[in-house]
Amino acid sequence: MSNELRYDGKVAIVTGAGNGLGRSHALLLASRGAKVVVNDLGGSATGEGKSSAAADKVVAEIKEMGGEAVANYDSVEDGDKIVQTAMDTWGQIDILINNAGILRDISFAKLSNSDWDLVYRVHVAGTFAVTHAAWPHMREAQYGRIVMTSSAAGLYGNFGQANYSMAKLGVVGFGKTLAIEGAKRNIHVNNIAPIAGSRMTETILPQNLLDALKPEYVSPLVAYLCHESCQENGGTFEVGGGFYGKLRWERTEGKMFRVGRDIRIEDIASSWGQITDFSEVTHPGNVTESMAPIMANVNAGESKGGNEFIDVDEALGYEFPQATSTYDERDLSIYALGVGAAEDATDQSELRYVYEMHGDGFQPLPTYGVVPAINLVLDMGKRGETAPGMNYGLDRILHGEQYTEIVQPLPRSAKLRHKAKITDIFDKGKNALVITETKSYDEDDNLLIINRATTVVRGAGGWGGERGPTEEQNTPPDRAPDAVVEQQISPNQALLYRLSGDWNPLHADPGMATAFGFEKPILHGLCTYGYAGRHVINKFAPEGDPRYFKSISVRFADPVFPGETLVTKMWKEDGKVIFECDVKEREKTVISRAAIEFYDEIPKPAPKKVEAEAAPAEASNDPIAADVFTAIGQFIGEKPEMLHSIGKVYQFKLKNPESVWTLDLKAGAVAPGETVKPECTLELTDANFMDMCSGKADPMKLYMDGALKISGDLMASQKLDFLKQIDPDTVYAAAKARGGSGGGAPAAGGGASSAVEDVFIAIDAHVRANPDLAKSVGKVYQFALTEPDSLWTLDLKEGHVAAGETAKPECTLQLTTENFMAMTSGESDPMKLYMDGALKISGDLMASQKLDFLQKIDPEEAKNAVAEARAAGKSLGDSSTGGEAPKASIAAQFFENFENRITENSALAGEVAAVVHFNVTEPDSQWTLNFKDASEIKMGLDGNADVSLTISEDNLAAWSRGERDAANLHQTGDLRVDGDIGVVHRLGIMKDLI
Amino acid sequence: MGRRVNVIGVGMVPFQKPGKSEEYHVMAAAAAKTALKDAGVDYNEIEQAYAGYVYGDSTCGQRAIYEVGLTGIPVFNVNNNCSTGSSALMLAKQAVEGGLVECALVVGFEQMERGALASKYTDRTNPLEQHVNVMGDQQGFSSAPFAAQMFGGAGREYRFKYGMAKETFAQVSVKARQHAAKNPYALFRNTLTVEEVMESPEVFDPLTRYQCCPPTCGAAAAVLASDDFVKKHGISNPVYIAAQAMRTDFNTSFEESMIKMVGYDMAAEAAKAVYEEAGLGPDDVDVVELHDCFTANEVLTYEALGLCGEGEAEKFILDGQNTYGGKFVTNPSGGLLSKGHPLGATGLAQCTELVWHLRGQAEDRQVEGAKVALQHNLGLGGAAVVTMYRKD
Repeated sequence: MSNELRYDGKVAIVTGAGNGLGRSHALLLASRGAKVVVNDLGGSATGEGKSSAAADKVVAEIKEMGGEAVANYDSVEDGDKIVQTAMDTWGQIDILINNAGILRDISFAKLSNSDWDLVYRVHVAGTFAVTHAAWPHMREAQYGRIVMTSSAAGLYGNFGQANYSMAKLGVVGFGKTLAIEGAKRNIHVNNIAPIAGSRMTETILPQNLLDALKPEYVSPLVAYLCHESCQENGGTFEVGGGFYGKLRWERTEGKMFRVGRDIRIEDIASSWGQITDFSEVTHPGNVTESMAPIMANVNAGESKGGNEFIDVDEALGYEFPQATSTYDERDLSIYALGVGAAEDATDQSELRYVYEMHGDGFQPLPTYGVVPAINLVLDMGKRGETAPGMNYGLDRILHGEQYTEIVQPLPRSAKLRHKAKITDIFDKGKNALVITETKSYDEDDNLLIINRATTVVRGAGGWGGERGPTEEQNTPPDRAPDAVVEQQISPNQALLYRLSGDWNPLHADPGMATAFGFEKPILHGLCTYGYAGRHVINKFAPEGDPRYFKSISVRFADPVFPGETLVTKMWKEDGKVIFECDVKEREKTVISRAAIEFYDEIPKPAPKKVEAEAAPAEASNDPIAADVFTAIGQFIGEKPEMLHSIGKVYQFKLKNPESVWTLDLKAGAVAPGETVKPECTLELTDANFMDMCSGKADPMKLYMDGALKISGDLMASQKLDFLKQIDPDTVYAAAKARGGSGGGAPAAGGGASSAVEDVFIAIDAHVRANPDLAKSVGKVYQFALTEPDSLWTLDLKEGHVAAGETAKPECTLQLTTENFMAMTSGESDPMKLYMDGALKISGDLMASQKLDFLQKIDPEEAKNAVAEARAAGKSLGDSSTGGEAPKASIAAQFFENFENRITENSALAGEVAAVVHFNVTEPDSQWTLNFKDASEIKMGLDGNADVSLTISEDNLAAWSRGERDAANLHQTGDLRVDGDIGVVHRLGIMKDLI
Repeated sequence: MGRRVNVIGVGMVPFQKPGKSEEYHVMAAAAAKTALKDAGVDYNEIEQAYAGYVYGDSTCGQRAIYEVGLTGIPVFNVNNNCSTGSSALMLAKQAVEGGLVECALVVGFEQMERGALASKYTDRTNPLEQHVNVMGDQQGFSSAPFAAQMFGGAGREYRFKYGMAKETFAQVSVKARQHAAKNPYALFRNTLTVEEVMESPEVFDPLTRYQCCPPTCGAAAAVLASDDFVKKHGISNPVYIAAQAMRTDFNTSFEESMIKMVGYDMAAEAAKAVYEEAGLGPDDVDVVELHDCFTANEVLTYEALGLCGEGEAEKFILDGQNTYGGKFVTNPSGGLLSKGHPLGATGLAQCTELVWHLRGQAEDRQVEGAKVALQHNLGLGGAAVVTMYRKD
């Protein structure tokens, strides 16, 4: 073999080479050209006796096979003599294998001083002595390869081997330091922990295992580590019985306490889970890496303190996982009723908070802005989640102060994304204050609401931390209030308010209230907040318009009981309204230090970040998991043979954002959700999944790092390698297709959206066929469908229907896709949907009444319209459903019409003057046009064609209709031309055949 | 006009498949040493060096040239996609031409990975974004390698416009293999029939696998010098650069044509400038090395360089005007299709081949009596470099 690894010209010392591993190493090196000093004292496995026989025998063996070797009978404790033998014989020393060893196994209780010393002397002092003698020669030669022999007993411990374990881990540390010191001079030092059947193990291992553990299985690794080409240095390897592996240190992420604080035993005990948690790990490879976390902690600066309740270092600045929530008019109305709005149902100024069809326009009550943020906290509480370093129960906390700012007037409905962060923690002596800021953004990333909640944590202060601002704000001026509003709070108000999300039983359950020391359930502080806010808005908002509301800030001074009378006293002071709330019956101040600010002008809504029409490509072409699954679906569709070879059902559970996908490689289907019971489940983050499929991340590495969790049939996971073969372009194409589908229906919902599209196609056809309709209605409608989301414009001014928002709507109808389908098929009544709140209408309400015609579309007419539209390539989305039956006849119809045309005007065929094969696809059919020596069209492929055209039915129809031209069809690959492409230019006679 | 620039030495290493070659610095040094030996010049005489490569971290040029010598001279790393080699050549030529140096070394090399070209940096705007957009508008995206989609798409457009048969595209590969069979430096030296080319797997209609150049590792080098230097060193009658021009994209690249997008106008305008500068026309040319990354591009380039009229490429090919016995010999080396296409090295390998022909050293594949040689090297993104070499 030309690439054989050889040791010609190299001199090796193998200690303990008379038997077992040492002998095997010596024989292997010698067989590859090394000159070997075969050292063996000739003692027993327990270190007794001395003889030259063992070493001589191995030397003879080497010589017999034509190698060079010399025997040495010294003890490794006299290492210099062994090295001298090499220098005297060959004048150099390149390789040192410290292999000699003895065993004195005995339980620790019975271990004698000599058992300890003898094992130490042979393994540790002996390894030292030989290496120390060889080292200067290697340094001078700028070359050396050293192998230390350790053992699993040293790495892991083993009963009865206290002495041996000590020695064997000793040489590992010894070897690692020499690896560092020798690196610059090309001296490489590695450790092995071998297991082999030898004199030392034959007493403890069964025979069948001994047979498998041949020394010859260890020597190749040792020899490789000793080869000139091997760059490994400082490694530790476990080897034996055919297994070869490398060992490294793994360390938990651990627990960090900032420097400068008093770390108590209890802190260690309470952090034990974190200290020992191997789900996040590092693999320090040297002292610097070992020190890294310590240095990071030192560099992070002094501790900000804390105690058993609050760890300021951990909690301060903590950003909660982002969360989303939605609200609509219903939520806003329930909230408004919850804070006592519209008690007089004829009061127009308050009716607008609860009646979504109010003539002046429905208005969200601005104090609702606190609800999404507080519900976020409450939801976390419900799930038992908390910020790190917050180690107290709900029983300790009081809502102390609240600030809510409305950056943009609240829309009537919104999808919000919340970013919450602990911005301040103050030590008030007895109590602690924790300030959490929540910023809520709309779907276009515009900041809508800022909330700052101050939580009092009773009894949690006193760590000597920052006290925070002490200056009192919003002190009422020393004069009679400028306005006062009194309102009795309904006795069941708390039960009404809790429907907005604050589930705390303290406000509903009399027993719970008693347990907390109240005579009956108390009112939510934020309910009082809403009452007060409403009072101030009604008195002071410019033009009485709540959209001028900017912010509210209050301190909660005392609880309120439902049924009591709230008195809100207001003073208008430099640009804001300072107020206070008292309970009339008890003459107690319940809200103090409070103020509301108003804007001078209503803030203009921020521009939509992404206009659906303007930049669809940028907005949507970043592939998402759905695109990858679309591509996977395509891939397996093209390779049905894969189903045979794999035949398993996989489930992918993705996180951040969460989604679940079923990859059914039995049936060959990919779908969102759990459609079939999975045999193998893979859990990982969305980002890691994307990286895995694009080949950026190795699944094996993700798995090893704990970033990929596999449950169920582990072996099945190995068959997913094909994911890497999926062409990124198909993913990109899927993303593009998704982005280009106008309505923005998610790729995963293709089936459903296609059905919706059919309905709109039918409506479009109906509208176009009945121009009077557009004339009589003359409005632009928008349908905002949900589940899955899609957006459609029904333009009855221009008289057409389109996906997306193509014209500014005068009337918008929002409902689920299912309800829309039910509505248009007549299964459900729009009025009923509206009453049930399942259909929301905004804008010109009266216009919505003119949509009756939707139910009058003749189903037969609709079906034809859809088939026609599909055939003409008008489809915007997945066309996998519907339309099959009428489609099948397109090609037949086309060629029939073609034949008729040719019959009527035979000169036309003469212009083509060629035999043309049509391979029509989707569905497949073949046709031969013989316009050369005949004038005929027939089914099937016949004779020698001048040109063969491959095209789908839809595209053939589009071509004939003039909607697409041949150049474009060919360029995009939708028309494949084999043979004389010139003929294509002569096919103008195909125009308008369908 | 500046001084005349002579190509006094050339050299290259046999091209290899990825994974089979030496490392880049070893290949580049070997090519440079061969070129210096060919010139009979010691490395100490080199005043500046230009190193072209596309894939690799910064200063690979120094690493490679340091293998040849460490004289502290300026070394420039040049990257211009597939026309990198010619771009480096052009910079060296300008240095000599402008009187800045008397003698300069140019080396081009590439150590490529297996598989089709792909983007290395995915966190930033792709430099080919505008080109890709044209493709998206014209034909959408398929799963084929992007370069095959671009040049294949241009091939589709050409085919539709002029009715060229797919077999005629295949014929270009057949010719390339026939030429490469006689070139010991080429990667693919076995010949193919039209049927074999047509039957190889389709990459992107009309291109089949044998119509696409392979990822290749290799290096090539040239030594350029002034007349004074030539005289001083007693070099007689060297090959010289009669004219050279580079053009980058015009508006027309981003309009509605795949043919224009893949650099037709860049090539045509560069060629026009070269013919004007040299005072010669296409009819004066004897031998051509042109950028046949795909058969489709060789076809387009015939017309861009004026070797035949627009829409006449099919007849040109079928009449054998592109090979021995015809009007020109295009790609006597086997071209990118058969010799291989190590991006940074290609421009210099083309130069090497043409210099050999002008000197009469091209052995079995010598174009007899070659006096005027034309080189076309194209990089998408883009740059087309056209160079004319002469020997008196």
